[in-house]
Formats: sequence, C-alpha cells, structure tokens
Amino acid sequence: MAEGLGVYLRLAAASVRATARRPAHLAARFLAAALIVTLEVAGVALLLDRFGSIGGWRPAEVVLLFGLGFTAQGLALVFGDTLEADEVSKLVRRGTFDQILTRPASPLGWVVASYVDTRFFGRSLAGAGTVVWAADRAGVAWTAGRAGLAVLAVACAAAIIFGVLLAAAGFTFVTVQGSEAVDVLIYGGQYLASYPMHIYGSALRFLFVWLVPIGLAIYAPALGVLGRQGPPGLPAWLAWLAAPVAAAFLAAGGLAWRAGIRHYVGTGS
Amino acid sequence: MVRTAVFFALYREQDRVAGLDVADAITYVWILQGLFAVVWAPWFWEHAEAIRSGEFVVELLRPGDPYLRLAAFDLGRTLSLLVTRTVPVLAVAALVLPLRLPGTAGGLAWLAASLVLAAVVSFQLRFLFGAAAFWTPDYRSMFLLLFPVLWLASGFVIPVEFFPGPLRAVVDWSPLIPLVMAPVRVATGRSAALAVAGQVAWALALWLAGRLVLTVASRRLVIHGG
Repeated sequence: MAEGLGVYLRLAAASVRATARRPAHLAARFLAAALIVTLEVAGVALLLDRFGSIGGWRPAEVVLLFGLGFTAQGLALVFGDTLEADEVSKLVRRGTFDQILTRPASPLGWVVASYVDTRFFGRSLAGAGTVVWAADRAGVAWTAGRAGLAVLAVACAAAIIFGVLLAAAGFTFVTVQGSEAVDVLIYGGQYLASYPMHIYGSALRFLFVWLVPIGLAIYAPALGVLGRQGPPGLPAWLAWLAAPVAAAFLAAGGLAWRAGIRHYVGTGS
Repeated sequence: MVRTAVFFALYREQDRVAGLDVADAITYVWILQGLFAVVWAPWFWEHAEAIRSGEFVVELLRPGDPYLRLAAFDLGRTLSLLVTRTVPVLAVAALVLPLRLPGTAGGLAWLAASLVLAAVVSFQLRFLFGAAAFWTPDYRSMFLLLFPVLWLASGFVIPVEFFPGPLRAVVDWSPLIPLVMAPVRVATGRSAALAVAGQVAWALALWLAGRLVLTVASRRLVIHGG
C-alpha cells in the first residue's frame, strides 16, 4: 500500500515539475487565480458595504464565508480540475482513458496524480488571506478551537466539492458530453454557501445543507468561528457533523465515479 | 438563482440603494445570466489559435473585407445565442419574478437593439484580445491576469452602480459598459438613450481600433509566414 502511494506521489511530483518548467507561465496563472478571488471578494465587500448588512450579518462576516469557500474550492481544484466535464470528455474522446485503464494503477489515482495543477493554490492562498482579513475586521478573537473550526470548514467543503467533481466525472463517462448542471452545483453551490444560509428559502437551504452539504460544511463551522448563534434548526454543534457528512458525500462521489467507469465504453478513437 | 435570493435578502431592509431598487437588481441578475455566453463566447480563442498556427492567413486570402467577414460570422453565432438563450431566460424569469422590462413595443425594440450592440462590442473586444496572438504566442497568460479586472469592471460581480464614486466614473467611460450594464440600463429604463448612444460610440471606436490592428498585424503575419 505504502509503495502504491509512492507511485502516485511520484506522478504528482512529475506533473508539478512539468508545469514548473515554465516558471513565468506558472507564476502568471497562479497570480491570476489569486486575483480573481481577490477582486470577486472586493466586489462583494463593496456591495455589502452599500447595504450595511444581509440577514443580520455584517459585511466582514459574510466575506469570511467567501474566504472559506474559495480556500476550499482552490484545494479541491488542485487535485480535481481534470475531473471537470470538459477534461473528462477529452480523456474519453481521445482514447487516453483506454490507456489509463490498462495501467496497473487505480484509474482515479492516476488521473488525479498526473494532472495536479498547482496554480489553484493561488485561489486557496487568496481565500485564506481573505479569511484572515475578514476575521480581523469582524473582530474574531482567534483561539485554537476557532482555528480548528475554520480548518474543518475548509477541509469538509473541499471534500464535498471534490465529491461533486467525482460524481460529475462518473456522469461524463456515460454522457461523454459535459453537463452544465455540474457547474451549477460546484460554482453555484459554493457561491450560495458564501452567504449566510438563513437568507435562503427552505428548498435551497435543504438542497445545499443536506443533499450537497457544502452549506453545512461552511456555514455551521463559521457560526462557531464568529461566535454567533445559528438560526433554529441549525445549531452550532452541527459543525461537528460536517466531517462525517462530508466523508459520506465524498464516498458517494467515489461510488458514482466507479459506476461511471463500469459504464465506460471507448469511443473507438 | 442564488443571486436573486441574495438580492431579495439584501433589499429586505432597504427600498433603494445607489439608485437601484430590488426590481432593477433582479433584472440585472437575469440579463447577466442571459448575456454571459454571448460576452465570453466559448469560441473566444478560435482566432488567436488560428493566428498562432498560421491558419489565419486563409482569412486574409479570402475575397472581401476580412474584418467585416469575421464580425458578421461572429455576430451570426452570438445572435443565435441571444435568440435561443438570452431571450428565453429573460422570458421565463419575467414570468416568475418581478423583473423590470420595457412594456411597450418601442421599449422592447430598444432593448433588442441594445442586446445586439452588446454582442457587437463583445466581438470587437474579443477580437482585440485575440489579436495579441500576432505579437506573442503566450496571449493567454496575459489575458488571464487581465480577466479578473475586466470581470469586476464590466459588472459581472456586482452592478457598477454600487462601485464607489471615483471607480464608477472611470468604469462608466470604459468599453466594458456596453457589454452588460448598458442593456440593463435600457431594460430598466434609466437613461436608456444615453446607454445605447454609448454602445454605438464604443462600437464605432472599437471598429476603427480593430481594423487598425488587423491592418498592422496582417503585415506582420505576412513577414512571419515568409
């Protein structure tokens, strides 16, 4: 098992080295990934400043949610960018996936490790910076417990986004063509979870707290970080439920990926 | 959909912010939704890739005016997106949500004109960014760095009305306004004539810029191809 892991680490290292061969290019993409987060957050901060508050939350508190969301998204995309529909569709249509299946390695491990994309760390870094800045503005007194909750939120949300990507990739094996529904779940879900969940109607809340639990993963721990009381039905101790729920969702994503591979048919290319 | 919920929540405590009320904001959300694919067309880099590979030379060899032909070809595709995507999206949204769209035939004609002008300006901007490929093969990294700024300044994150004064003043005079904000202003009936006039002015200015770039660049391509 340890040896098996070593193979994937070497693969990942190789793909990182490959992108590092063009340092200026890598730096530009890294910077661009960070910049898009920074400006998106700036836009949201400007908007919220005009209104003063949303659902009783101050702008800085909402920006903290955005920071958590982007940090998680960046992490998930470092490993999962190739699982996006366009890329999987390319793997299938070009016949690359046939080769992957013949290798003595797990197809998922192979795909993830060979296409690690470090530029998305730019997103995570900018997201983490946003969290620190927003926490300062919101007057959060950092304790070990609160920092732990923030890490928990990021880890769980990243796992969930990765789970959505996995399930979507499984789906793409069947449809070959990409589907926009996935983008809605990934980007829409993360955008939605970047605002306090209690502003939404019950249908959206149910969907993104319990079915695609990214709302649970970000909102519930953030309540703890900010020292806020949750609304009825969403108590702060739910934060600790985020970990098992995220793990279960990730497992479900893995099953969908497997089911997708079982239905995989080469395109004859 | 999420943005709609966010704006409803934001406006729960206030009626009007920066001159916009909740109907204006919701209209903005759905025009944005409808125009996304038109402005950032999926075929964004087609010309740039053709320039890099040299295939673009075919465009210059064809009879007729190359810029006009590229514009017409692009407009055909964006118009089909407008008809199959933007209009249905807006129609469905208007049925369920309190959008602020013009109620008269004349008003709708203005909105249609504004949407088409948005498509025209978007082609011209995309052409100029793609034309960077005449000078550098790494046109994409440069655009990636610029993109976040364009994304915010053209109003894809929040309506530019919510920008602070000085920033808003700069952005209002940029060729990014015709892309989304001008159609929104026409739809909500705030300074509609001015918005369309701005679109026309930018369409003309970018037309000249695009032609100039193509003239200069095609000389380069000839040298390049030997």
